[in-house]
This record gives sequence, C-alpha cells and structure tokens, in this order.
Amino acid sequence: MKSLPEILKEIRPEFDFTASSDFIADGMLDSFDLMTLVATLDKTYGISIQGTDIVPDNFKNLQTIGVLLRQCGVQA
Amino acid sequence: MDRLTTVTQVYDAIQGAKAGASAFCTNFFPAHGKVQGWIDHGELLGELRGRSAFFLRKDRDFWHLYFCASNVAALQREITAFPGLKTERVAVDLVGSEAVLGELLNVVESAGFRRYARLLRLARPNQPGQPQPSADGTEVLCAEKTDCQAIMDLLECSFDRYADQLPMLYEIEAAIAARQVLAIKCEGALAALLFFESQGFTSTVRYWVVAERFRSHRFGSTLMRHYFAAQSAVRRFILWVTADNENAVLKYRHYGYAPDGLMDHVLVNWLVHP
Repeated sequence: MKSLPEILKEIRPEFDFTASSDFIADGMLDSFDLMTLVATLDKTYGISIQGTDIVPDNFKNLQTIGVLLRQCGVQA
Repeated sequence: MDRLTTVTQVYDAIQGAKAGASAFCTNFFPAHGKVQGWIDHGELLGELRGRSAFFLRKDRDFWHLYFCASNVAALQREITAFPGLKTERVAVDLVGSEAVLGELLNVVESAGFRRYARLLRLARPNQPGQPQPSADGTEVLCAEKTDCQAIMDLLECSFDRYADQLPMLYEIEAAIAARQVLAIKCEGALAALLFFESQGFTSTVRYWVVAERFRSHRFGSTLMRHYFAAQSAVRRFILWVTADNENAVLKYRHYGYAPDGLMDHVLVNWLVHP
C-alpha cells in the first residue's frame, strides 16, 4: 500500500511535502488537488472521509492528515 | 433552495451526499475563502435532494450550478428534475481529466445542458532563465482601488462571463488590496492588466488582457515578464485557457506553459443558449 508521502508526490510531484508544515498556505495543494487527495485516500485505505472533515486544517501537513486518517480507522 | 449562511451548512450538505457513497461524483471543489466570500455576499443557495447536494451561486444575470452526488445514477435522477433549470440561466463546469468526464457529460447533457466552452489547464514550472522584465521603459503598476470599475469593464468586454468565472467588484477590490492586479496605463486609460492569485509556491494567472486600442505596443509581453520576475519564489505557475483560442494557447506556450491534463467543460442550459 502506498504511503501518504507517496500519494502526495503522485498528485504534485514538483513539491517536497516532507519540508512543509502547511501545504495549503504554501500553495502545494489547491482545491482540485484536495478533492483528488480525498478520493485517493478513500480508495487506498478503504475509508470515506466525511465532507465535514474536508477542511484546510485537516490537510495542512503530514501530521494533520495522519490524525484524520487515524480518526477514519486507518492503522498507523 | 435555501440561502446558505455558514460554511458548515455547505460541508453538511456535501456530507449528506457523500455518506456511504458508492461512487461520489462532484463538480464542487470548495476553496474555503471563496465559499466564505460567496456566503458573505448572499450569493450561495443550497439544497439536498435525495442523495445529491446542489448549490447555485449567483453571478451577474445567471447562476453557476455545483453538485455533489453519491453516484452518477443519483445525479441523473435529481438533476433532471431540478426546478431551477427551467426558469433560470444556469452554467455548469465539469472539471477533471478527459477520460473521467465522459459519463458526467452525458448526464448533464441529458438534463438539457449544451456544451458551451472547453478550457484547458496549463502549467509551467519555475525554471532557470526566466523571462526578464522588459527594458523598454513601460511602467508596470499595481492597480489601485480607483481602477476597479475600469478593470471590471475591461474584463467584461474581453472575456466570456459564462466560461471565464469573472470576478465580482468585491473580488477585484480584494485582489487590488493584495497587489495581485498588475496594470499598464496609457493616455489616462487602463491599457492592459494581468490579474493573478499567488498562494505560497503556486501562482495562477486569472486574466491577462490588453485593451483593443492599445494592442501592438507589447504591453502583454511587458506584463507577463514583470509578473514572472516578481514571482521568483513561485515553483508552479498555472492558468486556464479556452481550448479553441489558439492564439492565447500559443502565447502561453511561448512562456513555457503546457497542458497538465485537467480540463473544464462548461455547459449552459437552454435559457443561455437556446
């Protein structure tokens, strides 16, 4: 199974996601990318991220996305 | 439909369509700040119909339709019966790669929409040897608040309001305040502008236009070169362009932009385009 950094790298290969603490503010993910990411995470991990969770704070960095995935039942 | 007053209402409606969805489909990619702006200005209506959420955003004399549906069948069922389509001018954007849009296009066309325009997203990396600012003495300014109406007028006479997501006056004011409208003035008039949005390492050209009577002065080139030089920290430049506007596509290619695979099909209902 692909790791989160690998998934992000597939969506936006030009950025180093391990070097940013805020993907949205740094312009590394736009709203289209966010929806692509949600769909990819749903498919990869067999989960359904809730619409109410699709907010910028949950996608700021690897840590916040990790927290969201754990809340959805994904084992670390 | 109900006028929405909070962003939470938007996310709740999306969740109503998304919960347990077998094949969630949408044309709604809500950037939080933009949605908040629409709500603050009373432009956004919403409704949950069955397992599909619909949003209408007021824009001049028509509406943009956004949807979120649990699957394509649910969308087909609800959009066909959507009452606003019979009484209002409505445009809908379908965004994605060409390969995944075919089924959605069929559904939206079966609801009475007709294809109106097709836009391509172009991207360019920040690369060594960026175009340098022109040294011809043309002065590039950041637009001022007093330029708002002139900017609006130039955009409205140069672009298509159904296809090009033209900004409202308050959005132009915000862009000016953020110093994201570059302008060249000539003979006391707004001769050319480059309207952009930068967020961190990504910058989007929204509109790049030279007023008709000032063409052939190389103002467009001067603006673009100034823009690239001023955005030296940006790593990814993007923009949307009408696919059949070969002249514009060629100009962007000249500056290193190339299609990145994302496409926007704009469809309108019969009240726009009988």
